[in-house]
Amino acid sequence: MLPLLKHGEVLCTIQRMSVAPIAITGMGCICAAGRNLPDSMEAILRGERNPAAPVRFASNHPVRYPVFEASGFEEPTDLPRTSAFALHAAREAVADAGLDRRTFGALRVGVCIGTTVGTVVSEETFCRGYLAGHVPDMAPIRRILRCNPADVIAREFDLSGPRQTVVTACASGTDAVGIAGSWIRAGLCDAAIAGGADELGRITYIGFISLMITDDSPCKPFDAHRKGLNLGEGAAMLVLASERALRRSGMRARSFLLGYGSAGDGYHQTAPQPDGAGLRSAVSEAMATSGVSPASVAFVNAHGTGTPDNDRVESHVLHDMLPGIPFLSTKGYTGHTLGAAGAIEAVFTAACLEIGKIPANAGFETPDPEIANTPVREVTTVRGTVALSESLAFGGNNSVVVLGKS
Amino acid sequence: MNGMDRIVIEGIGGIGGFGCGVSDLTRALTGSACSPGTFALPTGSGTVTIPAFRADVSRLEEFIPARTLRRIDHFSRLGLLGSYLALADADLPEAERSRVGIIIASGYGATGMTFAFLKSLIEDGDVCASPTCFASSVHNSAAAHISIQLGAKGPNLTVSDYHMSVPSALATARIWLAEERVRRVLFGAIDELSDLIGYIRYRTRDALTAAPMTPLRTEMETPIPGEGAAFLLLAREGAARGGYCTLDASTTGSLPITGGPFPEPGLLVLGADGCRASGRRYAAVARNARVACYTSLYGSMPAGPAFDLAAAALILKGGRVFPSPGAVSLDFPATVPAGGDPVGADRISCLTLSGDDTYGLTTLGRVDSP
Repeated sequence: MLPLLKHGEVLCTIQRMSVAPIAITGMGCICAAGRNLPDSMEAILRGERNPAAPVRFASNHPVRYPVFEASGFEEPTDLPRTSAFALHAAREAVADAGLDRRTFGALRVGVCIGTTVGTVVSEETFCRGYLAGHVPDMAPIRRILRCNPADVIAREFDLSGPRQTVVTACASGTDAVGIAGSWIRAGLCDAAIAGGADELGRITYIGFISLMITDDSPCKPFDAHRKGLNLGEGAAMLVLASERALRRSGMRARSFLLGYGSAGDGYHQTAPQPDGAGLRSAVSEAMATSGVSPASVAFVNAHGTGTPDNDRVESHVLHDMLPGIPFLSTKGYTGHTLGAAGAIEAVFTAACLEIGKIPANAGFETPDPEIANTPVREVTTVRGTVALSESLAFGGNNSVVVLGKS
Repeated sequence: MNGMDRIVIEGIGGIGGFGCGVSDLTRALTGSACSPGTFALPTGSGTVTIPAFRADVSRLEEFIPARTLRRIDHFSRLGLLGSYLALADADLPEAERSRVGIIIASGYGATGMTFAFLKSLIEDGDVCASPTCFASSVHNSAAAHISIQLGAKGPNLTVSDYHMSVPSALATARIWLAEERVRRVLFGAIDELSDLIGYIRYRTRDALTAAPMTPLRTEMETPIPGEGAAFLLLAREGAARGGYCTLDASTTGSLPITGGPFPEPGLLVLGADGCRASGRRYAAVARNARVACYTSLYGSMPAGPAFDLAAAALILKGGRVFPSPGAVSLDFPATVPAGGDPVGADRISCLTLSGDDTYGLTTLGRVDSP
């Protein structure tokens, strides 16, 4: 049994029953750690990380905050970088699933993508021109309106199923994966490409600096001296499939989406609820829908941004609800990729379950006396068949997926 | 989702160019004059005044103290007012409010704050960019404010798929109820007419004249930008306390519509918004159907399909069709019933088209229909 919610909180979702597992048949990823999932996994298990001042854009801010850019990735001129990331990861996931246009054609396939900037109708050059009284070129705006990441993927693979772009800030990628699983269970589609994508640009970079939650050194999730996050960029996609889709397409389950939960804090625009009630609800729902017990949880891939508030709240919830279970943040290798983070961390979680080991929590050196538990400090062998991936977000969104080993 | 309880629309909250609340919306639908206002838009060649359906959020102070509203932007105020109106319309007890799930659909998000942040960055420099504007610029800011004010701690989702945002998000709302994640979903669509969106609309349309919108005249370009919020309180039939109608289906996909043209179309409410190109697509899809269109009461905006749903719900509740404004001398290849005609069937479908080939189709039914 899961521990009861703390502080008299009432679980506001109806008590959930376990749901049918959904097969994950393919995964793809691009981020600062690598151009694809195998390369990214090798890099994080080697402990490599390369945060540096931004190269792709300039800022006259006197402090050069380190970021995790996906270096060497040049997007095509007709796509915004976010959609290009999404497409790149989707192609890898589809190939990994062994699908092609012909097999896709026999299935109703949906697309559910999380993002924070992928649907934002603004562009700095355009706005500068407008504010200066010029008549700015409309091409960037038209390109944004034409290239919603979910639409781009659906067009690329000629998919006829439902499309949705989830914009729940930094929980978007996790929500997109969970929602796509629900679509399949409800029969809205046979399969889905689900994940998250976000590019790093000047606006986001300056915005997070203005909030004073960025670290001017490489981020240190859960460390006593953590000062904030480093931003990153990238995308990850999963191909999810029903039993029927597996039979019709010949795809094989690589791992499973077992459960999903989400809950709002209803507390603050940018700060997590101090007692973590929303996250507790999300973890409870994810565990209940997955039908697994804490004893079978091999590890938790935490949100772990490196901000003082996030890490304190999250570690307390983990200590209370999943005591003794190894946890880590992979943001020390990728930076905080915002709407892509939940998806990138979900594919890392599934890949780690496959190999039975997790990387060290990069940046962690000094335990925080305010935190009762500590993340893993080295590459660690894990036992168990399931793992959790968590996301917390502006707006008080908390989302959790439970993934299972094939 | 076979075998699940039907979903009922228990309450409606709407604000837009027509006014505020169900009574104003009903009055506008019944045939009262609903003229657009104006929007003074700064451009490179001076201020341009364009017609627009603006929404007045002053009634929000009936629900939330003015002091609390000081730091809440227009986009979120639209959402908050829509939420409170829908909850009041359904007469949902306070104790139940914390238990609703929240789903927001927005085509453009909080563009006022997005632009304000960019403006602060451009005019004040990288060091002095506004953190308040940045924090309020995220698409889910309205959903956050709603959950904070209501104390709603259930699942909370925001979806942004431009003109398909409403049907896309509705599909997920239905699933939440089918899965019994929540007993109720507070579903809302919000779009604001900021300087940024106003300018983009100004630049991308052939003409923005003060002539009335005539969306069922496909030879004319008559879109008038709108803003507003339309909220629906959704509940499983077993848990619902009365209501307007049932929400029977919501699908999205690529044209042609399979299994169609439409399920038992007593009436097809079209999301045509006065744009000539999309009007022609609506005409092709809805050929020979019995159609109505009410966009000229609230204007052209991605949130518009939620207002279409509110209108359809009111029709099903009252049993009579509202007149389609501007449908005189139309060239639309369909039948447009006059105001006051019986609905003629148990169901109404609302059609949204986007781009060249994407559609959303939502079907509502009478509460007492089989």
